[in-house]
Amino acid sequence: MFLWVRYLRKKKIVFLSIAAVALSAALLIVVSSLFSGFINVFEQSAVEAMGDIVLEPPGKFSKYEELIRRLEQSSVVEQATATLSAQGLLHLGKGNVRGVEIWGVSNLDTRFSRLERVSGDEHPVSRNEQSACGFVGIGVVAEPDEETDEYDFETVKKMIGQQAVLTTGAAPEDKQEKDPTSDFKRRTVRVAIADVVFTGVYHLDKKIVYLSIEELQKVLYPGGNEGVAGQIQIKLRAGTETDAALAQIRGVWETFAAEHLRWEPYLIRTTAIVTTKQMQSRYVAEFRKQMGVLLLIFGVVSLSAVLLIFCIFYMIVETRQKDIAIIKSCGATNGSVALIFIGFGVCVGLVGSAAGMILGDIVTRNINTIEGWIRIIFGLKLWKSSVYMFSKIPNEVNWDGALIIALSAIIAAVVGALIPAIIAVRTRPVNVLRYE
Amino acid sequence: MYKIILSVRYLLKRRISYLAFLAVALCVFIVVVVMTVITGLVRDFKVKNHKWVGDCVVGTESLVGFPYYEDFITKLEESDIIDSVSAVVKSYALVKNRGLQESLGVEIMGIDPVKHSKVTGFGKTLYHRRGDVSEAFKPAYDPNLVGCVVGIDKWLMRDTNGRYSYEVSPSEAALLVSCFPLTSKGALAKAGTGLVNTKTFYYSDTSHSGLAAVDSSFIYLPFEEAQLLCGMAGPVKRISAIHIKFKPDVKLEKGCGKVSTLWKRFIEEKGEEQAELLDTVTVQSWKEYRRAFIAAMEKEQTLLTIMFAFVGVTTVFIVFVVFYMIVSHKSKDVGILKSIGVSRLDIIELFSCFAFLIGLLGSAAGVLAGRLFLLKINKIEDLLFEHFEFQLWDRTMYAISDIPNAVDSKVLVVIIVTAIAACLAGAFLPSWQAAKLEVVETLQVSQL
Repeated sequence: MFLWVRYLRKKKIVFLSIAAVALSAALLIVVSSLFSGFINVFEQSAVEAMGDIVLEPPGKFSKYEELIRRLEQSSVVEQATATLSAQGLLHLGKGNVRGVEIWGVSNLDTRFSRLERVSGDEHPVSRNEQSACGFVGIGVVAEPDEETDEYDFETVKKMIGQQAVLTTGAAPEDKQEKDPTSDFKRRTVRVAIADVVFTGVYHLDKKIVYLSIEELQKVLYPGGNEGVAGQIQIKLRAGTETDAALAQIRGVWETFAAEHLRWEPYLIRTTAIVTTKQMQSRYVAEFRKQMGVLLLIFGVVSLSAVLLIFCIFYMIVETRQKDIAIIKSCGATNGSVALIFIGFGVCVGLVGSAAGMILGDIVTRNINTIEGWIRIIFGLKLWKSSVYMFSKIPNEVNWDGALIIALSAIIAAVVGALIPAIIAVRTRPVNVLRYE
Repeated sequence: MYKIILSVRYLLKRRISYLAFLAVALCVFIVVVVMTVITGLVRDFKVKNHKWVGDCVVGTESLVGFPYYEDFITKLEESDIIDSVSAVVKSYALVKNRGLQESLGVEIMGIDPVKHSKVTGFGKTLYHRRGDVSEAFKPAYDPNLVGCVVGIDKWLMRDTNGRYSYEVSPSEAALLVSCFPLTSKGALAKAGTGLVNTKTFYYSDTSHSGLAAVDSSFIYLPFEEAQLLCGMAGPVKRISAIHIKFKPDVKLEKGCGKVSTLWKRFIEEKGEEQAELLDTVTVQSWKEYRRAFIAAMEKEQTLLTIMFAFVGVTTVFIVFVVFYMIVSHKSKDVGILKSIGVSRLDIIELFSCFAFLIGLLGSAAGVLAGRLFLLKINKIEDLLFEHFEFQLWDRTMYAISDIPNAVDSKVLVVIIVTAIAACLAGAFLPSWQAAKLEVVETLQVSQL
């Protein structure tokens, strides 16, 4: 211990190896945290938008209120809601047409928090009979600033209350003829923009127009006696085990579809009942793979830190031959001598990885501020929601990953110290300490 | 001469310098591989964008479009820098396809296939009508029907190798296309009636531009039909853009500048006639036109370069330590050299020469290993996929075929120069220390 502290004090060059370990560890921690954060936000945004589980039959279905009632009576479901969706064109005014997705939802007035609504309002919207009332994503009515990627909320607020024309279309559910054009009907409706929604998720903000499900049913199937839904979004009770919940929900669905819809067993079985995380799993797997590849590349480059530690320790062993010889001549075993250098390597790894973790934590937590400064100083906007899906860079440190990286850094430091330790062990006091 | 001899001697005799060599080679290897792949992806992406757009675009983002395009096209064709031009109509539409009970939102592009193929690479993106672009909108199963060309990702699936399962001949399919016709004031042209124009087109071919955003969202229609659908075929016809190809010897900036001047003169000639529509028109090179997409890729390249620069600092540290050790062991050499009249600058030059050698040889080894790896990178990926189902990019998700492995000589030069500069930077302080050594101290008996 005495020698470790002494070498650390006397051999300032050791700080270089600590710096190298810290730098490599910090870089790997930042990369791993940003990727993990991105994946978490990606998964979480789907859960927030669609609930924990989505039930989607191969076609539209009626009597969905009964299904929701049955689901909410089960022990696993906290809440269920029906949705209907379609694609459409939105004419917002002079020459301004957008391609949009229309989501008919059951709980439009309460679906978004006060923070997500640009009006800052949380009250139900007032409706009149003249036109349908809808919420639109902020990206539907405005473009973010080219440089800052931020929206001008004052301008956006002016869109609230404006009228737009929405065109969509559907074929009546009971007529599925061979000719695709015969029964398909275009539907056009005037929509009042009741509020603008800013979720921070690019796709939702850019593409979606929200109507109440009843209004969308009227638009798509004006003569229909019964309301139809395309999907049921389900929120599970806290602590519910997913597989058990999926099995129970499927049971409820199969009974409901057979009793109330009188669907063929084939259609009932082909209904997709999946968690929203499972829906995203292909993309998540791809993101994780890319994270792995990037960490591997930086990990290999970080191997040079091992070489650096080796060089520095080799130099210490070479210049401290007399110390080693004296220690050995006092009776220290080879193991004790090796332990001095390996222990010193552990010290370097510990201090370096601790510094790396602190640095990684600081950089990750302040990544949005750093990105902002890069934009101000260099005029380079690195993060754009149109490219990376979200308005803000996820800035949560992945501590599990960070601990693995720190442990790897300590092992790397020990590996770097190993050969110098062996050289130290092979030092012969009689050669080093002889008079000449 | 002695500087080179001593540098080579240090390099060969001091085994610790092998470590510096190894560190440089390792970093250069990784950087060459990663930058080649990233640069290749960015380059391919740019080429595909260039082929899709042509050299220059005179156009407006407003879906109302702009009038008098025929007059301006005549002026362009009179210019000695223009090879060919193509008028284009763009808008959003809803498309109803067989097998689906709902519409899909798409972007439509109305073109004259022959003219557009002269300006862009459109003709080569086709599959069934590649040999005869003029027939692009004539379905093979019934040439009398009005055809449409569909972005390939809207029509066909990619397999795990990124290949599409093309049909022998196009299958018969009707697509119901609807869009808002707009007046020249931007209002809905069919207010009071159905509000939208709808027409049935028949699938005739797919277009594979290699740009995921394009191939998954565009449908190409005959120019006149698109003009009718969008309400641009009134007494004063309108379009969204004119795509231009310059003659081969015309530089992009010069060509765009000249087109811009022509456009300004054209607006002045037209005076107040529909000035509000003509004022929305911009002249952009293909790079500016596709800036939003290209910039995103370039930023990723920049980010990766910055991260490698951080990691490269470790290499500078290694070179520093190695030189520090060599200098401390070779103080006698330095003393002798100085005693025979070698200056401080010469000592710095000696160690800089040594650092240069390490940088050069390390880079050479890294580049060689990198090139060998890149040569086999696609085979390695195939093997990994065969045995472990690992692909660098899932080809069913990404519009990437092979991993780019053509080394860019400019990038290579930058990497080598940076590696040598890093070695020189790492060696500078130890060299300076060596230069400062005093002969009387290094050559006194107690030190020998």
